[in-house]
Amino acid sequence: MNKFLLARGALGAAGAGVGLWGLWLLLDAVPAPALIRLPLWLGGAVLADDFFLVPLTLGAGWLLTRWSAHRTVGTARTTLLYVGLTTLIAIPLLLRQGKRANPTVLPRDYLRDWLLLEATIIAAGAVWFVVQRFTLRRSRASSGDIGGR
Amino acid sequence: MKLPAPPTEKSFPSPLHHPRVATVLGRWLGIAVLICFLTGLFSHLQQTTPGWLAIPSRPASLYRVTQRLHVLSGTIAVPLLLAKLWTVYPKLFAKVPWPPSRKALGNFLERLSILVLVSALALELFTGFLNTLQWYPWPFPFKQTHYALAWIIIGVLLAHLAVKLPLITAHWRRTPADSLPPATTGMTRRTLFRTVAGAAALVGITSVGQSAPALGPIAVLAPRKPNVGPQGLPVNRTAKDAEVTEVGDDWRFTVAGPRSLSFTLDQLRELPQNESELPIACVEGWSQGAHWEGIRIRDLLRLCGAPDRSRVRVVSMEKGGFYATSELPSAFAADPLTLLALRLNGADLALDHGFPARIIAPNRPGVLQTKWVHRLEVLT
Repeated sequence: MNKFLLARGALGAAGAGVGLWGLWLLLDAVPAPALIRLPLWLGGAVLADDFFLVPLTLGAGWLLTRWSAHRTVGTARTTLLYVGLTTLIAIPLLLRQGKRANPTVLPRDYLRDWLLLEATIIAAGAVWFVVQRFTLRRSRASSGDIGGR
Repeated sequence: MKLPAPPTEKSFPSPLHHPRVATVLGRWLGIAVLICFLTGLFSHLQQTTPGWLAIPSRPASLYRVTQRLHVLSGTIAVPLLLAKLWTVYPKLFAKVPWPPSRKALGNFLERLSILVLVSALALELFTGFLNTLQWYPWPFPFKQTHYALAWIIIGVLLAHLAVKLPLITAHWRRTPADSLPPATTGMTRRTLFRTVAGAAALVGITSVGQSAPALGPIAVLAPRKPNVGPQGLPVNRTAKDAEVTEVGDDWRFTVAGPRSLSFTLDQLRELPQNESELPIACVEGWSQGAHWEGIRIRDLLRLCGAPDRSRVRVVSMEKGGFYATSELPSAFAADPLTLLALRLNGADLALDHGFPARIIAPNRPGVLQTKWVHRLEVLT
C-alpha cells in the first residue's frame, strides 16, 4: 500500500514539475497582451465542450431512445454520432474554403465532399440496419423467441 | 414560475457513465495524447535543436512518418476526448463538499486540475487542427502557445493519473458487465467502445490521405491533397508571400567558407548533378514524395575547402518570416541525399518551389527545406 502511495506521489510530483515547466514556457514565450486573452480561449474551449457538444450528444441520445423503436436505436445513434462528428471536423474546412492562404491549401470542393461523406455514412447505417434486422429475425425465428425484445 | 432544478450527478441514469468506461476511453485518449506529444516534441526539436542534441539525417522519411502521426493522433483525439468527456459528464454536477475541510480542498484542487486539463487539451486540438488549414483566428502566437500548452497538458495529465490511480487500477481489467445490455439504453459498454473506436477510425481514414497518397482520394476531411500544386507538389509559402518576384541574369549563388565561391545559374547547372527521392513533409501534416536533382551540399563544401563535418547556414532571398535562414547541422550537410536542388520532378523548380535553387534534405520539416537560396555560409 505504501509503495502504491509512493508511486502516486511520484507521479503527482512529476506532473506538477512538467506542468510548471509548461507554464514557464507559456509566460516566457507568449507576450503579455496575448497571455491576458488566452484564458478567454481556454474558457471558450471548456464552454464549447461541456455546455454545447456534450449536452447536444446527451440530448440527441435521450431523444432517440425516447422516440424510436428499440431495435433501431443502436444503428440510428451510431449513424447520427458519426454524422455529427465528421460535420464538426468539416466545419473549419467549409468555413475557410475560398479564404485559403494559397491555391494548394484546401484544394477540394469541401461542400460536395462533406455531403458525399454524410450520404455515405447514412447509407452505410441503413445497410447495417437492414442486415442486422435480417439476421436478428432469423436468429429469433430459429430460437423461437418471438415475443422477445 | 419555478425554474427546473439544475441537474445532479444522479440525473444521468445511463450505466455507461461508469469508471470502467472512463478507464478504457482514458487509456485510448492517453495513448493518442502521448503519441501526439512525443511526435510534436520531435518536430519542435527539429526546428529548435539544442546544441547538445544531434538529430540523425536518416531514416530519410522519419519526419514524414512522425508528423503524419502527430496530426493523425491529434485528429483522432477529438472523438476520443469528446467520448471521455461524455462518460464523466455527470461528475461536473457532483455535489461540492461543504463546509470547507481538507477533503473539500482536495476536491477543489482536483476539479481545478481537470478544468486546466480539459480546457488546455480542447484548445490544443482546436488550434492544432486549424493550423493544418493555416488559419489563425486567435490573438496569441500559435507555435509558442501550442508548445507550452503541450507541456501543461502532460503535467496535469500525470497529476490526474496520480489522483485517479486507485480507480484506474480497479477498473483496468475487462469484466463480464462490459457485455451486459443495460435495459435503459440497449447499449453495452463493448458496443460503446466499438462505436468510439469506429469514430476515431472514421476521422483518421478520411484525413490521413494528405500524407498517405494511397488514401488521398477519400481524404475528404484533409486540408491538403498531396499532389495538388505546381509540379505536383503543394506549397506553404508562395513566392508572392515571400516577396520573391523575379530572378534576373545578375543572380549569383555564393558560398562563404575557407574559399569564397560565386556561381551563375548556368555555372551551377554545370557542376556534377545528383538525384534524390525525398518527401516534402510539412509541420501541418501533409507530405508528398518528389524527385529532386541538384548539387550535393557535401560537394559544395569540398569545393570551398570546408571540412566534411561542417554546419551550414542557408540564406534565402525571401523577405521576412521566421525561415529566411536555416541551419543545416553537420549530419544533414554531409548526407549524400542533401541537395541544393535546381530541378523537381523533371523540370526546373517552379518559382513557388524556390527557383532557382532550394535545399532538400532527408528527415527534415518542410519549413527548414529553405527555398530561393542564394547563399551558403560554412559555420565550422
